[in-house]
Amino acid sequence: MTISAVTPGVIRTASDHAVCSLACRVVTKVFSRAGAWSRWQTMSTTNNIAQARKLVEQLRIEAGIERIKVSKASSELMNYCEQHARNDPLLVGVPASENPFKDKKPCIIL
Amino acid sequence: MCDQTFLAVVFGPCDKCFKEKPLRAVYIKSEQLSYCSLCVEMMATEGLRENETLASLKNEAESLKGKLEEERAKLHDVELHQVAERVEALGQFVMKTRRTLKGHGNKVLCMDWCKDKRRIVSSSQDGKVIVWDSFTTNKEHAVTMPCTWVMACAYAPSGCAIACGGLDNKCSVYPLTFDKNENMAAKKKSVAMHTNYLSACSFTNSDMQILTASGDGTCALWDVESGQLLQSFHGHGADVLCLDLAPSETGNTFVSGGCDKKAMVWDMRSGQCIQSFETHDSDINSVRYYPSGDAFASGSDDATCRLYDLRADREVAIYSKESIIFGASSVDFSLSGRLLFAGYNDYTINVWDVLKGSRVSILFGHENRVSTLRVSPDGTAFCSGSWDHTLRIWA
Repeated sequence: MTISAVTPGVIRTASDHAVCSLACRVVTKVFSRAGAWSRWQTMSTTNNIAQARKLVEQLRIEAGIERIKVSKASSELMNYCEQHARNDPLLVGVPASENPFKDKKPCIIL
Repeated sequence: MCDQTFLAVVFGPCDKCFKEKPLRAVYIKSEQLSYCSLCVEMMATEGLRENETLASLKNEAESLKGKLEEERAKLHDVELHQVAERVEALGQFVMKTRRTLKGHGNKVLCMDWCKDKRRIVSSSQDGKVIVWDSFTTNKEHAVTMPCTWVMACAYAPSGCAIACGGLDNKCSVYPLTFDKNENMAAKKKSVAMHTNYLSACSFTNSDMQILTASGDGTCALWDVESGQLLQSFHGHGADVLCLDLAPSETGNTFVSGGCDKKAMVWDMRSGQCIQSFETHDSDINSVRYYPSGDAFASGSDDATCRLYDLRADREVAIYSKESIIFGASSVDFSLSGRLLFAGYNDYTINVWDVLKGSRVSILFGHENRVSTLRVSPDGTAFCSGSWDHTLRIWA
């Protein structure tokens, strides 16, 4: 049974001058009663165990995948580029008559 | 550094013990239940094996991370730009603004091309979503969303619908109709429901499914007709800012990038994270697959773009310069994958040679930060949207 509890997340307060174009999040303080803080703490520990276990499982999966050498991967990327280079309009440039965005030469009225 | 958000209190009957208590939302096999805190604790400790304490788990996590690094380093025999030395250098590029699309009343946040290589949908902070004809710069459709900051928009593969969303935490699909009498807003269908803002959305290969990414740290796959959640993807530790689907027809993976500096590759069918990469120093604003599907690029607030190869399972190139100090908001590849276009917060667009790692060209024109950038489906041009309220088409 996979459990993922909703965990406390990250606040990002934003304005136009902020790091990215994200919105303000509303913060609502929850446990304002005495005795609730200790409950929150035990919950955090339990969540941490569940999180840690998930992390370990995820790392096990990732450690087990097949990998190839960078040299082989790079040469395959290069081959793909070379094969498709001539079909790439932004790379080789197409004549103005074929590119719908480039302005065609105005007609000269004789 | 990070503040904790506190959840708003919801009182009610617990789904397990049925007592009236403050509830927490818990996800079991993608189903959301509300348990009281006592039941959550009991559930979490149920499967705890012997000797499995927090400390032992942390140690195992550390050792696995170390082993992962070792395995990756073993295969790091050469750098991409070294292998690329035998490739011809690119000549000078002259790219100019060919069209300027004006009409948005506020910052343009997102745009997408239609598969017909001609139409563009763009969304902005003022809540408007506009469909343009990029050849003529005419506006074909305009919808006003009930929320501001429409941060995500996407064109359906058929060209018959658009999806958009933002601060309303939902992704809505609007069918496009040319009937002047029909009000587009009336036919709106709410598909996705997240618990925080929608940061990115994309149709899969058909009009029937939508993939969304949200500020609540999850991605989700939805069925458009029924609005049902088909699969959810949990794993990011903070807001997910971007996603991109693998290009192949049979592809069923996608990559997502988030504020936790991680880029994660997911299997759409199982909901499992297959690979994750954590080499950026700041939020990842944009991820895009290489045209062959074997690699992807990411643009981040740390002013670098990086190329990650999926089969080598590591970062293979960094595109950065000391003179570039502003974050990259959006990246896209040209058709062959040789060029990487990146829009930055310093109002410029840098064009990088993917293989050699050098900058080929720098494009000026926007008067505020470039927020979104996409190459057209046939590769003849690319469009950039900016906070200066305009979109520019470059070719």
